[in-house]
Amino acid sequence: MLRYLVQRLFVMIPTLLVISFLVFAIIQAPPGDFLESMIAEQQSRGENVNTEKIEFLRHTYGLDQPFYLQYLHWMFGTWDGLQHQNGGLIFGDLGYSFEHNMPVTDVIGDALSLTVIISLASVLFVWIISFPIAVYSATHQYGLGDYIFTFLGYIGLATPSFLLALVLLYFANVQFGTSIGGLLDPQYIDQPWSLGKLASLMEHMWIPVLVIGLPGTAGMIRRLRANLLDELNKQYVVTGRAKGLPPFRLLVKYPLRISLNPFIADIGSLLPELISGSVVVSVVMSLPITGPILLQALRSQDMYLAGSFLMFMAGLTVLGIFVSDLALAMLDPRIRFGAGGSR
Amino acid sequence: MSFRLAAIATVALLFATASAQADWISPPYFAKDEQDGKLPPVAERIPEHPAVAEMPRQGQQGGELQTLLASARDMRQISYYSYARLVCYDRDYKLVPDILESFEDDKDKVFTLHLRKGMKWSDGQPFTTEDFRYYWEDVANNKDLSPSGPPKDLIVNGKPPKVEFLDETTVRYSWDEPNADFLPKLAGAAPLYIYRPSHYLRKFHAKYVNADKLAEAVKESGQPSWAALHNRRDNMGRNDNPKLPTLDPWVLRTKPPAQRFVFTRNPYYYRVDQSGHQLPYIDQLIVNVAASQLIPTKTGAGETDLQARYLRFDNYTFLKVGEKHGTYWVRLWDDGRGSNLALFPNLNTSDEVWRRLMRDVRFRRALSLGIDRHEINQAIYFGLGNEGANTVIPASPLFKPEYRNAWANFDPVLANRLLDQIGLNQRDESGIRLLPDGRPAVIIIDIAGDSTEETDVLELIKDTWHSIGIDLYPKPSQIEVMRNRIFSGDAQMSLSYGIDNGFPSADMSPQDFTPTTQQQYQWPKWGQYLETGGEDGQKVDLPEAVQLQDLMGQWRRAGDSDARARIWGQILAIWADQVYTIGTVAGIPQPVVVSRHLQNVPERGMWAFDPGAAFGVYKPDTFWLDQPGPLSPVADNK
Repeated sequence: MLRYLVQRLFVMIPTLLVISFLVFAIIQAPPGDFLESMIAEQQSRGENVNTEKIEFLRHTYGLDQPFYLQYLHWMFGTWDGLQHQNGGLIFGDLGYSFEHNMPVTDVIGDALSLTVIISLASVLFVWIISFPIAVYSATHQYGLGDYIFTFLGYIGLATPSFLLALVLLYFANVQFGTSIGGLLDPQYIDQPWSLGKLASLMEHMWIPVLVIGLPGTAGMIRRLRANLLDELNKQYVVTGRAKGLPPFRLLVKYPLRISLNPFIADIGSLLPELISGSVVVSVVMSLPITGPILLQALRSQDMYLAGSFLMFMAGLTVLGIFVSDLALAMLDPRIRFGAGGSR
Repeated sequence: MSFRLAAIATVALLFATASAQADWISPPYFAKDEQDGKLPPVAERIPEHPAVAEMPRQGQQGGELQTLLASARDMRQISYYSYARLVCYDRDYKLVPDILESFEDDKDKVFTLHLRKGMKWSDGQPFTTEDFRYYWEDVANNKDLSPSGPPKDLIVNGKPPKVEFLDETTVRYSWDEPNADFLPKLAGAAPLYIYRPSHYLRKFHAKYVNADKLAEAVKESGQPSWAALHNRRDNMGRNDNPKLPTLDPWVLRTKPPAQRFVFTRNPYYYRVDQSGHQLPYIDQLIVNVAASQLIPTKTGAGETDLQARYLRFDNYTFLKVGEKHGTYWVRLWDDGRGSNLALFPNLNTSDEVWRRLMRDVRFRRALSLGIDRHEINQAIYFGLGNEGANTVIPASPLFKPEYRNAWANFDPVLANRLLDQIGLNQRDESGIRLLPDGRPAVIIIDIAGDSTEETDVLELIKDTWHSIGIDLYPKPSQIEVMRNRIFSGDAQMSLSYGIDNGFPSADMSPQDFTPTTQQQYQWPKWGQYLETGGEDGQKVDLPEAVQLQDLMGQWRRAGDSDARARIWGQILAIWADQVYTIGTVAGIPQPVVVSRHLQNVPERGMWAFDPGAAFGVYKPDTFWLDQPGPLSPVADNK
């Protein structure tokens, strides 16, 4: 088991290196660089551009260097012989954001806490709603309730979330006077936490949580229901029932546990999602979380910000999969013994 | 006291505004700080001779103004709105001293600038010629900070100016040849800043700080060099460093990144109203950041007190519905562009057959005659626009109707005759003319694919061009990609915004009408040639364009406004006759949403970037609230 763990951990290193190269190459693939997109943006609004300053920036931040040098610099920092000087992703330096004119850490740091709050809330929402519904649907297969929930679930899956977001924004503004977009009423932004601020957050948060969570809820209901149905028809359940176990106890103790696997397997994709948020929805709703920052960074070719962001997410994905593998192995003896047996 | 009275008397005399006021009036906002001794009394904060603002209606101090912008980088807009400049345009677009008490201009060669005695930066430090000296000697002429030397706006015929610092309040810039563009650049929306807060920036300058200490600061900031650190701290007009002292009416208090930026009034601001109240009237400016596509919706919901940026004419009906809630007025301001959208035939396109056609004036005229501008105006702009060529608009003193009407009426018969004359006689089975090499005459038009307005206009042009045997296809791409295609010559033609300053006076530079930069989509390579001093691009080689280039040179050297007006006239006549760009419809109104409590915002104004600086030319420091609400708390970032 330990050897397996170490092996898994080692495989992560080349994986991440390959990802880092791909990420950087793709960000750099469109023609031009950040400064050019900045010129274009300013000119499209009739502003004149200070070309001297642009040249200064291009030189200072090495944008005039070839691609591989820029990559090496980003990844490993600058070296004087064998003496590491500064920078480098592997030393924890995420680099410099041109767009925001400050270190990447400062740009992301601020948005991170709200992102985690939103994402955690949506995950909880998904779990709390989908779990009982799925169990109900599976145990009452083809009943009226099952049909109703199935129908609602399909609507949840099929509605484009940005559309739903817009409709709910409008509705909340007209009905409750909630300010459009954002997560807080303007007067609470950048203020210390207070009851009023919390209330304002709650007032705004239900829309993004609902919108981000809905497709996930629908998907989760379907998966859990299918898994549970599989288990419910197995012989051990029939045996248990024949031996006179109370139905609820029977359900909770055996088939439900096994059908929990999708919840656990989800952790792998959950970790990066916590950080990235739901980009489209958060852009539409102008949420102060990391999703829109990432999108803007990609659009304006703010490469260190975008690159660090994507690497961060790649790292979390790899880590998340590792964790969910471990958890699955611990939870499900079949996986555990299966792994052991093949070794 | 008698001295102060004398000062007031001088001011009253200078501005011919009889002020019987015995003293300057400090805003209540600072009452507590003054009592606690944190701020000196108002008479010591403002210059000996403050600028006296003229305005339609004097107002009251206090309150808070909310507005919306799309990103932290957008905060530079606030410096446009503030529009505190050494010299500035007044509402009639005449240059007047602003931060300067006065200036003397000797034949556009020698400029003597007089500062206001006793004027101070927003942190209370004196604003003197030392700040000008620091800029000229330690920034503009420092190899590390300005590798390419002083900005090109200060270079005339390859030579920098002679800069003298005569005393604490007098600076003189002199050139051998006239530099007519000097004052307009100082008055720009994004101006040429020829001064810096030296007391603050010294802390990051290698000349003034010992090397070890500076190296430590550089390391701590994560910047690659001291020059980069200095450059980062020194972003005048960008509003991204709350510690950078300013002369603007409102001072940034929020450190980016943030979703909400707070600006508070500058205690040392140099302007007062006629009865002696220190300006600005409004205590605080709150800028909330929202996605640009949400801004019209938020505006309609009444979440801003003053908004024009990110509102477009097609939002007008929606905003009108929101007006019924009674919180704001929607006003329509004039737009200063020469044409809302214009076609730019690329005279430097790489395809030889197309290049020959684009350079043939008959071809450009025929394309222009083949557009039904009235139809575009009616179908897309509700008939509110002003049809015509891409040139000066009636608001300009240089305007003549023939400039706008030249080759701009819909005349397919004449257009067809011109095209026949060129020799494009052959047509294919669908009636599209054939190029000399046998290809059909299909023009690919590059557009930046952000809104449907461009494609709608092109759809209408396509219909009428069919009647002259020309076809077109739009090619939408990201704006960076489109620009690179134009610069490299891959694009044959593009559709973009028309001339930005459509209402120039004779003293403003005709640079938009003559080859000057690569950014001109009709002749990018000529512009590049002139920009790089002949290193890249191509030499201007059409006789009329060469003439324009010469006229530009003459304008720079011209000694007075009459001579400049004559040169302008020649330029505009050539421009109109040669149809280098093909205009459509101009004067599409700009919706401006104004809170019902906000006073002194004009009913009707001109929405333009330079000259105009958005709201700047209307001096928002004179806007006031008739019912000032409570102020938001300000987090202290100091």
